[in-house]
Amino acid sequence: MQRRTFIQSLAAVGALGFLPSGVSRALAQEAQALSVEQLPALEGNLTLYLGRGEGGLYENVLDAIRKRNPKLNLQIRRGATAALTNTIVAEAKAGVRRADLFWAVDSGAIGLITDEGLARELPTDLTAQLKTGFQYPRWTPVTGRIRTLPFNTEKLSKEQIPDSIMALADSKLSIGWAPAYAAFQSFVTAMRLLEGEKATADWLRGVSRHAKTYAGELGVVMGVERGEVDLGLANHYYTLRLKSGKPDARLDLAFTRNDAGCLVNASGVLALSEGDLPINFIRYLLTKEVQSYLSSEAYEIPMVSGLSPPEGLPLLSSLSPPKVDLRQLADLRPTLSLMRKVGVL
Amino acid sequence: MTKLIRHSRSLFIVLSLSLGLVSQPSLANGEVGEHVNNLHAHLSQYTEEVSWLVNKFDAVVDSYQKAGKEANTDVMIEYWEEVNFHAAIETNYVPVYALIWQGIYGVKQAIDQGVPVAKVREEQLKLEQALFQALGAVKLAAQYQQQGLLAKVQTTETEMASGPQTLEEIKHQLDRVVAKYAEKLVDVATTMVHDTYLQRFEGVEGALIEQDAALVESLEKDFNVTLPKALQAQADVEEVRQIVQSMQAKLHEAKALLEKAEKNRQDVF
Repeated sequence: MQRRTFIQSLAAVGALGFLPSGVSRALAQEAQALSVEQLPALEGNLTLYLGRGEGGLYENVLDAIRKRNPKLNLQIRRGATAALTNTIVAEAKAGVRRADLFWAVDSGAIGLITDEGLARELPTDLTAQLKTGFQYPRWTPVTGRIRTLPFNTEKLSKEQIPDSIMALADSKLSIGWAPAYAAFQSFVTAMRLLEGEKATADWLRGVSRHAKTYAGELGVVMGVERGEVDLGLANHYYTLRLKSGKPDARLDLAFTRNDAGCLVNASGVLALSEGDLPINFIRYLLTKEVQSYLSSEAYEIPMVSGLSPPEGLPLLSSLSPPKVDLRQLADLRPTLSLMRKVGVL
Repeated sequence: MTKLIRHSRSLFIVLSLSLGLVSQPSLANGEVGEHVNNLHAHLSQYTEEVSWLVNKFDAVVDSYQKAGKEANTDVMIEYWEEVNFHAAIETNYVPVYALIWQGIYGVKQAIDQGVPVAKVREEQLKLEQALFQALGAVKLAAQYQQQGLLAKVQTTETEMASGPQTLEEIKHQLDRVVAKYAEKLVDVATTMVHDTYLQRFEGVEGALIEQDAALVESLEKDFNVTLPKALQAQADVEEVRQIVQSMQAKLHEAKALLEKAEKNRQDVF
């Protein structure tokens, strides 16, 4: 039953090879999230390398997939995303492949693997399920997070906040940031790619004059809420989570427009081995059930079309994130040397 | 002696219960031999080693008594790193392991500073007490191991899958911070705090803040201000231990909150 429904669904999105490619593409662009009920059962051995995720919620997803597929023998190797990336590349150089799949918490790491030619191409019906601008041939985003400007509602109104990230350098606002934090460094990388080295260096210097440094971005958001600074630079979910635990928190979110300040980054998955099994496993991660679960429980943004963002966050379509190939965010070395050069690291 | 072993036993029981009778990954200074997974067969060896250490440390103090500051105190560290008992206690009960380091440096510094012999003997007594307390803890661990109540000691770091497991690992890492600090490795201890925060606590604090924002705020301050500041200010080991114990109590509370939240979480499918 499951396989039949699955084939019907594929047909509906134009995935079957006999459709003319134009029609297939057009239909594929309209693809929406599938339900787990429409997917085939998973059977066989799979080894997944899993980057450290959100407090065990990725584990819950994997446990649920296991429970639903008793004939799936899923082995998981856990570790820091960067360490697993290096392992996969090293294993490939040694002529061995232990992982069938890699689920990384940030897409920068994905770039290192796709650049090495280790990831296999994904079917278009699968990538077509992703929101426009987030469809890639050799990997797929799973869930996203957006850069935001959390601000203290007693000190500022939304109208007082510039809608350009570059304008913050010359503003009079006190700013909380966490330069040692990986998400911040990815954001600076995006700025470097979009605005260039000099503008980014000037921005870092400008903001550092009125910035307070925190160890992590939850610390930034808490500092904003306490009124230590007017606003902060942080991923969206810290604010949503803090507000969930403290509903009267003096916090709201502002967004810049079409610049690195509202970059959408994502966790991502790629297949390293051939066959249907790794691909169908990825399909499970893109189901509306998994996407909705990670949205409601981890406040992550579903990356599949037609699904709503977590409560408290505007629709992605109403925001204007910059167009950046997320894999390029792996290029951290020039970012770190730039940050060191201007003295913020 | 009996009193010391009884005391260490109760400490070990508390520890074992709090860890769910699971040994933690080991990261001993030297090589961790397979003997740590067969403690019972090595108890007589450990007992001999403790006696040997007591005699060797005593000889250092005797030498100080006779020759003054000429006494070579660096050998105390070499003696301690030489014995297998080192890994046996490190892999089973880090808090007492830290006390031993604290005791070694208590004697060493007292001699290096040229304080009166009576004071050095006081420090020596504390060190001997820590060694016997550790021996008691290892003997108890050997019993648990024989009953199959202790998991095999891992010789490589393992990844924690769930939030509550991560919090338990953080508590263990904080014990190691005290041990490294007692070993006078201030920068190593400070880096461990930083790494534990970024690589472990950061992964669970998002889920935790939904349960208790004030608790997260307090732990954030401990990780980023209170503990690193105490380490860098070269505070007394006891003071650092108290900060860590206070953090561990908060982490224990956090674990209960995450376990409760996990029970109430919706199903994926």
